[in-house]
Amino acid sequence: MAEENKTYTIPIGPVHVGLKEPITAWLQVDGERIVDVRIRPGAIHRGIEYMARERNPIQVIYLAERICGICSFAHIVSFVRVVEDATGIPVPPRAKYIRTILLELERIHSHILWAGVACYTLGYDSAFNLGMLLREKVMDVLEAMTGNRVNYGVGTIGGVRRDITPKVAKAINEMLDYYNREFSYFYNVVTEDPIVKARMRNVGVLSQENAIRYCAVGPTARASGLRMDLRWSSPYEAYEDLEVEPVVPQDYLGKVHGDVFDRFFVRVMEVYQSLDIVKKCMDGLPDGPIMHEPKPAKLLSLLKEAEGVGQSSIEAPRGDDTHAIKLTKGEENITWWKVRAPTYANAMSWPIMFKDQEIADAPLIINSIDPCISCMERMLVVDEKGSSTMTTKEELIKLCRDKTRRLMHR
Amino acid sequence: MYKAMLNFEASPAEELKSFLEEKLGNKIKNIEIRARTAGKEEKVAFHDLWISCSKDALIELVDLLSEFDFPIFHVISGDDVGDCILLNYHFSLFSSAGRGKRLGVVVSVLVPKNELSVPSLYDRIPGIEYSEREMHEMLGVFFESLPDRSLVFLPEDWDEKVHPWRRDESGLSSRHIRELS
Repeated sequence: MAEENKTYTIPIGPVHVGLKEPITAWLQVDGERIVDVRIRPGAIHRGIEYMARERNPIQVIYLAERICGICSFAHIVSFVRVVEDATGIPVPPRAKYIRTILLELERIHSHILWAGVACYTLGYDSAFNLGMLLREKVMDVLEAMTGNRVNYGVGTIGGVRRDITPKVAKAINEMLDYYNREFSYFYNVVTEDPIVKARMRNVGVLSQENAIRYCAVGPTARASGLRMDLRWSSPYEAYEDLEVEPVVPQDYLGKVHGDVFDRFFVRVMEVYQSLDIVKKCMDGLPDGPIMHEPKPAKLLSLLKEAEGVGQSSIEAPRGDDTHAIKLTKGEENITWWKVRAPTYANAMSWPIMFKDQEIADAPLIINSIDPCISCMERMLVVDEKGSSTMTTKEELIKLCRDKTRRLMHR
Repeated sequence: MYKAMLNFEASPAEELKSFLEEKLGNKIKNIEIRARTAGKEEKVAFHDLWISCSKDALIELVDLLSEFDFPIFHVISGDDVGDCILLNYHFSLFSSAGRGKRLGVVVSVLVPKNELSVPSLYDRIPGIEYSEREMHEMLGVFFESLPDRSLVFLPEDWDEKVHPWRRDESGLSSRHIRELS
């Protein structure tokens, strides 16, 4: 009978306690089982690619940085690399190493943050707090190096803007010792917990074949057993001089499940890998200048004369971050710019991961690809009271204040 | 539909280039191989391949690429260039084939505005869905045989005749833009 097969639709999001950022998942459920899912992004568009058309490449560096708070440096490096590809501006070796160190520090902070939040989603708050405590160390180093905890403002076209001073080098070496001593404690506490394993094993499975067909990237693809890592398959910056191997679960655990636990495992092992890369970069840090052209005005005139299209894909913490750009000779502003953040690719795999899972696992599955919705959505234009259904911020604030006043008069 | 498997053996960019030139002849033009360097000594680390292709040969080209490896799809970038819409399909080949073996492949297609439709690659590469829907809403390109053409990034109540990235009359007008200062 048709009645027996009746399903209900439950929305999760756009704002939900289980989510870090706004996205809507319409879950079709039959009892507790998820039958189908429809994902609707679009809640956090800022129109960044459109805004970039009215800015010159140096201004767009800082716009690119604001695509995402967590992987801001990855977006900058990808952006300056497309400009360097389109114009042929060289990068001094020392700058390449500093970029690599920063990219890896950012990966450490992103992965530890994610691992902590994954524990929080499960209700394992002690591990969450432990993760946050561990993350502070790398944040301190980033702050010592760049002056900021996020949005470092360090990248520029043809180099970097901050050098590694002896003081910063000391802080980095101290951080490496700290993590080599302390991080395994967090890892052991989580992976040896039977409840964590029960919640993560065989949940949100993405098979190897589907990971290829739906073009999954980064730790999500590697957790499904794909040996794919741009630091290895197409080395950029200093990775050419370093031996980076993709971290895949079959090399460590003997078998690939492609589930949430494997995604957790891959990220945790990549923290160790990043520590190793930072150490190698510090040991082999070459001397020399850190910028091709230190004077911004000269750099701008160089960029104004450039004509060409460029593309770059780099391995951001969440996976492959692709940028593409067009510069036109004689034009100060960039002609067009396209950003493909890793979540944009990984979100395609969500519906497969959701199939036949329980509703209670939905936030964990959503978080398991480490979604960065503000990364994924950049290209909307703000509508000025476009329709009657849309409430402006001012109206909302007024409504909110009216309510407070009503309560005061009671 | 392709056999979803990654190839563990890479072919050099030159071999791919001459293979495509031989098979497709004048349907493709301007194949450019870009060597990308990295490291202290500026060694060639990997290559990118840029191909301009006519709209009708797109499917054939992607099928030929898939004889080498499953084309891992990144994104479609695009722009309004006057009479035409330019679409650049960004793919990767040999992502799993070894150190420095990945080949970035960019396929540029010009779509005339008076016949603004291209064949969809969705049944070959399902991961392309969001990008095709994005190009549909942002530039108004119609993708044949794409099952879901609903909005992906624009709001639910968006006027679908307005395409934000277009530079002509179907693009944004001043009522869509709020200057902040």
